[in-house]
Amino acid sequence: MSSKPIPASVSEAGFATALRAFRDALGEKAVLDSDEDRSAYIDPYAFGDGLEHESSAILAPAEVAEVQEIIRIANRYGTPLWPVSRGKNLGYGGAAPVQRGDIILDLSRMNRVLDVNEKEANCLIEPGVSFFDLFNHLWERDIPLWMSIPGNSWGSVLGNALDRGIGYTPLGDNCEALCGLEVVLPNGELLRTGMAGVDQGAAWRNYKYGYGPSWDQLFMQSNFGVVTKAGLWLQPEPEMTAATELAFPNFDDAAWAVDILADLRRRDIIQHNIVFGSPVRAASVLSQRAEWYEGEGALPDSAERAIMEKYNLGWWNAKISFFGPEFVVEGSMRLLREAFEKRIGRELEFRTWHKGEPYDQSARGVPTTIGLQSVNWYGGRGGHLSFAPVMPQDGAKVLDYAKRVKAIYREMGQDYYATFTIGRRHINNVSLILYNRDDPVGTKRADALFRRLVQVALKEGYAEYRGHIDYMDLIGDSYGFNANMQRQLNNQVKRAIDPNNIIAPGRNGIGVRT
Amino acid sequence: MKLLFPLFLVFALAGCSGQSEDASKKPEGPSQIEAVTFGLGSQVAGERLYGRECAFCHVGKNTGTMMLKRRLEQDQPAQLHERKDLSAEYIKAVVRNGMMNMPPITRADLTDEELDALAEWLAKGNP
Repeated sequence: MSSKPIPASVSEAGFATALRAFRDALGEKAVLDSDEDRSAYIDPYAFGDGLEHESSAILAPAEVAEVQEIIRIANRYGTPLWPVSRGKNLGYGGAAPVQRGDIILDLSRMNRVLDVNEKEANCLIEPGVSFFDLFNHLWERDIPLWMSIPGNSWGSVLGNALDRGIGYTPLGDNCEALCGLEVVLPNGELLRTGMAGVDQGAAWRNYKYGYGPSWDQLFMQSNFGVVTKAGLWLQPEPEMTAATELAFPNFDDAAWAVDILADLRRRDIIQHNIVFGSPVRAASVLSQRAEWYEGEGALPDSAERAIMEKYNLGWWNAKISFFGPEFVVEGSMRLLREAFEKRIGRELEFRTWHKGEPYDQSARGVPTTIGLQSVNWYGGRGGHLSFAPVMPQDGAKVLDYAKRVKAIYREMGQDYYATFTIGRRHINNVSLILYNRDDPVGTKRADALFRRLVQVALKEGYAEYRGHIDYMDLIGDSYGFNANMQRQLNNQVKRAIDPNNIIAPGRNGIGVRT
Repeated sequence: MKLLFPLFLVFALAGCSGQSEDASKKPEGPSQIEAVTFGLGSQVAGERLYGRECAFCHVGKNTGTMMLKRRLEQDQPAQLHERKDLSAEYIKAVVRNGMMNMPPITRADLTDEELDALAEWLAKGNP
């Protein structure tokens, strides 16, 4: 495959003219098109070399006005843009565009925390702000506000929220913590949503909806604009936290344990998304597969049991934290004890923290990249792919689905790695598929497994909530009601507001170039 | 905060017993907050940049440190800022090209001038 692509919609001469216009507008250093620069944006978890999603150039603006100008130029020359906040959406394609040759619009340099309102527990951020940046901003200034932290904190706070990523503390449905967006529309005009649409914007970060239709969701998992600022709600530091871990020794425990945990979540006794995970989840961070098994096929039961024994794990494991005033936290601890101690036959032990104590023992979220360690499971240059259908909160259905998916993993020779993340009213089953990206047998298996799981889930009425760039079309097809009416509407909107199909063609199956 | 990464381990390791790690046990090396805030506010640009771009993986028990520990000899430190065998040129090549599971760091994230300062600080005193 040629390693110097251009967008499919333009000629070589047209592309060169567009690049000159971008350089005139942004300066030399904000337009990157050397081979070294472009290769730095290839999906680090791609199967093989990842060149099928290689970009032609990267634009790195530092100001909103530059983003507006980029979009005007792109419309003029017909060069599609693939906006990324920081490009660290690992497992979903990283910074790479769906369509080879499209230009990456990297907002990493727009990385200012513009304001933090300590009293009202919110902030205003740009898309290049990482979880580390925001944490350090709060830490350095001793601001008693806590953040929701996802598994990979290298990425953008705003980008993660726009892709509906999650964290594991209160306010962990990250897209729901956004309040008021500033968006450059596909025609280059600037929009502010919700109360940010009032000229003064005095209540920008206080009320999400404004007057009339609320537009924020239009810019999540979509390609209808480029978000350049957002209000974000933060968690006031609680008076107390308590944390414990639950381990359920048997695979079949999923049925009753999920029902209890989901009930506690629905009633807001547990205030955060709960991860209910299998042994390989922990083992892939702490060790490599070869330490357990080097034979053919999937990890056998004996190896899974050895992992559980060595790390003192259950078949399913969940970490539970409580946040709030002391009497509330202690009451919640009591409820959790009543729910589980008799069933698991031992007393729960909590790690507690009170405001003013060192944070060592607290349940505060601190950014981390430790979860990325799991890609080293098979050795080599590792990667992971996630199939994560949304399911109802029904323990029997969870167990039934887990049994079937585990059998498929086993049949295909892939090590079973599952979490059932329990949200406010749903469960998200993350079936993680680990691989060595340079092992063609393993990557072929990963692809086949992903495609098979899409069909298995669909038979139950479940579908993926988010998508890797290789599978955005496939996932879009899952929402098939009334001849894919959701997708039809998405494309109607796309054609109306982005007639040149400039912003991220193909993202989430919208505006696919044929 | 002394516990975030160890806390992860505790949850992974103590699952079956449902028991937390003894609070009196201090983890070895920097805590996760110490790793995340490494170099924050430093007057030395290279140290500050190392803190911003590298420390979250290469300080404390984080993914870069863990992967390097598997590859290096036991007497070699896994934290990059403790290494004595890294040249500035080598550091720059790895940063721009990546290595194994480490993705490259782009010029939008870290300019060439910033990388020069970072590499010079990290390689200080090394042959």
